[in-house]
This record gives sequence, C-alpha cells and structure tokens, in this order.
Amino acid sequence: MDVDSQRAEWQTAISPSEVEKMPTAGLTEKRSEAHTEAGELSLRNFLSQLEKEHPAEVLRISRPVDPAQYEVAAILKHLENCGKFPLVYFEQPKDLRGQISPHPLVSNLFASRERCALALGMAVEQSGMELSLGYARRLKNPLAPVRIAPADAPVKQVVARGAECDLRNYPIVRHHEMDPAPYIDMTPVMKHPDAGFYNVAFLRNMYKGPQRLGIHMSPRHNWQIFRLHETRNLPTPVAIVVSHHPAFYLGALNVEPFGSDDYAVIGGIVGRPLRLVPSETWGEQFWVPADADFILEGEIPPGVREVEGPFGEFTGYYGPQRVRPVIDIKAVTHRRNGFVQHSFVGHRDNWFLGGIPKEGTVFNVVKGIVPSVKAVHFAQSGSCRFNCYISIDKKVNGETKQAALAAFGAVDFIKNVIVVDADIDPFNEQEVMFAVATRTQARESVDIIKNVKGNTLDPSQQDDIMTDKLLIDATMPVGKPFSARVQVPAAALQKFPLEQYVSASQLDSIATFLDSRRSV
Amino acid sequence: MARIFYVTCPGCTGRFSCHYEELRHNKQYPLLCPYCGKRFLDEESPKVEE
Repeated sequence: MDVDSQRAEWQTAISPSEVEKMPTAGLTEKRSEAHTEAGELSLRNFLSQLEKEHPAEVLRISRPVDPAQYEVAAILKHLENCGKFPLVYFEQPKDLRGQISPHPLVSNLFASRERCALALGMAVEQSGMELSLGYARRLKNPLAPVRIAPADAPVKQVVARGAECDLRNYPIVRHHEMDPAPYIDMTPVMKHPDAGFYNVAFLRNMYKGPQRLGIHMSPRHNWQIFRLHETRNLPTPVAIVVSHHPAFYLGALNVEPFGSDDYAVIGGIVGRPLRLVPSETWGEQFWVPADADFILEGEIPPGVREVEGPFGEFTGYYGPQRVRPVIDIKAVTHRRNGFVQHSFVGHRDNWFLGGIPKEGTVFNVVKGIVPSVKAVHFAQSGSCRFNCYISIDKKVNGETKQAALAAFGAVDFIKNVIVVDADIDPFNEQEVMFAVATRTQARESVDIIKNVKGNTLDPSQQDDIMTDKLLIDATMPVGKPFSARVQVPAAALQKFPLEQYVSASQLDSIATFLDSRRSV
Repeated sequence: MARIFYVTCPGCTGRFSCHYEELRHNKQYPLLCPYCGKRFLDEESPKVEE
C-alpha cells in the first residue's frame, strides 16, 4: 500500500476543525503543510507531504531487504559514502523470521537539518540557527496533553497482548559488526512512580527473544525512574514508542530538568498537545501517545540483569558489553501496516537529532546570562554532543567564560566549548578553527575544568562518570586594539558582480570545494 | 567510558569489548559472543586484552 492511498484513511483520525481549536503556543515560524495540512500528527502524513513537496528527500527501495542481516545498514553506509543522506523508505523489509513484513521501515529521517526543520513545520531555509531558536522558543511553552478513548487512537488499530506478542514479527535493524543482535533504538517512556510525570528518552533495546529486550540506561532520567521502582522491588512499566511523527522525537530529546513532563514538553515542541490513550497493560495508570505508529509495552523486572551489547553508539565507537536490565514485553499496539523506525546511530541520522534540541536549550540558558549571544552550534565533529560553538557579540571581557560555563551547566554532554565573536559563523567549523588559530593564546585563552559529569560512552573518558571540560575563548579582547580581518571592499563587490565575467554554466562546471561549504 | 577489556571468543575467534568492572572475572554472567552467539566465561577465552 503506498502512502497516498493510506493517507485518506489516516486523515480521518482527527478533524481539521479539531486542530484549529488547538493552541499553537504563539509560534511565529512559517508552518509547512507537512505539519498541518492533514491535521493528524502522524508519520505517514509527514512522509506523504515530504514526497509530494520534496521528492528528492525520499528514496524508496522496493526490493526486499533483510534489516537483521545488516542489509539496511549497508545501504545507508553506501549512501553516506556517496555523500547522500535521503530518508530511506524500505517498502518490503523482512521480519526477524525472514518473511516480508507488512510494516515498512523508515531510516535516516533525521539525517538532514532541512528535514528536521520540515518536521517542526518550518521552512528548509530555516534549518540553521533559526531551527534551533524556534525549538528554544517552543521549549518555553509546554502544552499539556489531551486524553482520548482507545477507539479513537490510531495506535490501537492492532493490539496484541501477552502470549500473542512476538517481536520476530517485525523488521528490526542490526547496525554494526559488533552488535550482537538487532536493536530497537527509539524512545522508551517511563513514568515517575510518585510525581507522575513522564520521561521520554532515546535508549538502546537489544533483541533477546520473542518477548524480551535488553535495555541500556546511562545514569540519567529514565535510569532514576527505574532505580526508584527497583529499590521498592517493583517492576518498571515502560512503553517504547518505536515509530511516530519526527517532531515527537525531536521533542523527546529536550534536556529539560528531571521532573518536567516530557509529554507536555513534546507538545510544546510539536506546537499542539499530544493525544494520549490508556496503555493496554496498565490502563489509565500509564498513558501512551495515541498517534504513534508503533508501541511496545513491557516491564523491567527488579533485580534481573543479563549481558547486553556491545553496541555501536552515537560517538562512532562501540559501547562495551555490559550487565543490564531487561524488558519483558506485555503488549504490542500499532496502526494497520504501521511503520517501524530506527535511528542510524553513530551517523548523521542520530547526530542532528541530538544536536538541534541541545542548541536551543543552551541558547536559552546562555541568553539569560550573556544577552548578546548570537548562535549555538553542536558540530558533527563532536557527534553533535561533545563540541559546542557559541558566538557572542561580546561587550565586556569575561562574558566569554560566563557563556561557556552556562553551557556546561545546561548540558552535561558538552565536553569542549569554543566561544567566538559575532563575526564568526559557529555553523562553519572552518571559521571557528580560524578564530582559534588567530584569536587565542593557549596560556590566556584555554581553561580545563577537571572531574565534571560527562558521558559514559565517551571512549576517552577514564572514569565511568567524570570527564574533563575544555573551554577555549576564541574572541577578540574588548578595549584593546586587535588586527582587523582582511576585506575586499563591499563597494567593489557590488560594482563588479561575477555574472559580468563568468556565465552561470561556467560557474556550475567549476568544482565546489566541500570544505568551503557550511558545515552543518 | 569506563575501563574495558577485549576478549576473543573460543568458538569463532571473534574479538569484542566488555566492561571491565562488570564482566572481568565474573562467573555469574557468561559473555555473549556477538558474532556466533556462544556464551563463555572470560577465563575460557584464548586471549584477553586488558
């Protein structure tokens, strides 16, 4: 079944008039049809609009592929080697039994900032800092979710419970050579047992059997919720949102403080309240996203551990085999022919997704301390986590360190901060390095902060928790003469336009050096 | 990252990384070879790099 023929069926789940009544949090960004036309926040509507309006962004592969045998990963890697990063729509993936699955597989959705902008209803031209700033504005306007009945929830179109559940029925991707099994690498949702808020996080889930997954948690928010349950000898309810509209996942990667309700935060990022429905396993004690394509419900039994991993991680390195909790699957719910998604971890698909929300968060925090902040960029060179470039229009000396320290405090992933002046584009890593080369003296410009919380997956980190942070002030001093950058006179550029000397076809035939392009 | 060690599978000779604190000399949790699925204790490995 193609997307267009599916579309009419899915559009009926929520009427346009209902959507009109929903608050939009005062958003000012231009909304693309990819977000609003069909009304329903669904992956299939997004794909349909993307294929219609930006067909070059989508690559359909119709021949059968076997995700568990690295076939999907190989195709994505070949494309990456060619410098191509389309969303890849596998029409006939095989399930874990080797049979053609009725569930299409979507890969690489987040491998371009342009598609991330479209997912948030913004224009492709806004995919640079505007995208992150738009995200930052929306973070300030969480929207409480709305609750609907199961009969109205698309994700309840097909329900399997207990012994009916069998993970072998679905296409699950094995990514890298040292991964011991296919992995689901999307977003488990957990609920705080006392405060009642929900936390959504990207975590890896290793296939272990028809009704069992492994789960790796760093000591962050979901881990805290799990530990609370386990210390009380209680199973931890978990709902894995395997497939949903991309805005849901961009929202899920917010770095709001522990205690924020992620369903409300995600609603703010999406620009409309999430619709929730009671889970199959815990009823109204645990609500799940009604418009998802695919959800797995399960419980983490207390005190149970098994080996898990290695797993190719976002850093581009393997995380080692460890002893980790497991999830016993209790129910599977999905749309008819629901999509399965995965993130190509350790590659662009996984990097931008993590970087954009953090850019917005850091911008908001720094803005409160250094109002002249212009832009924040998490560069690909640091897996969009470790290297953070901040540009400020410095008014007084000392603001640089204020900005850097605020960033370190806001996002513990950050390992290296380089602060540059407003004339440097932090989205262009070559310019950032130009500033480092020409505006720093190591003894004055570099600070190292030892023993700060880092990320357990950083392969250079010697301690399980702590790391060292590097701060580089690559700004020019205030109140002291500093050499000016060379400039061809603006008047000359205007007086002698290139078109007078070089035709468009000649220009097109000249090689473009990749390192001169924006390094997003 | 925490300390790791590399172990060689006694079945297929595949080499993979493990968390040192959690899995080195741990008889409770046999290692799982990601290449052939064999389960074994690290002391059964023909080569451990630590």
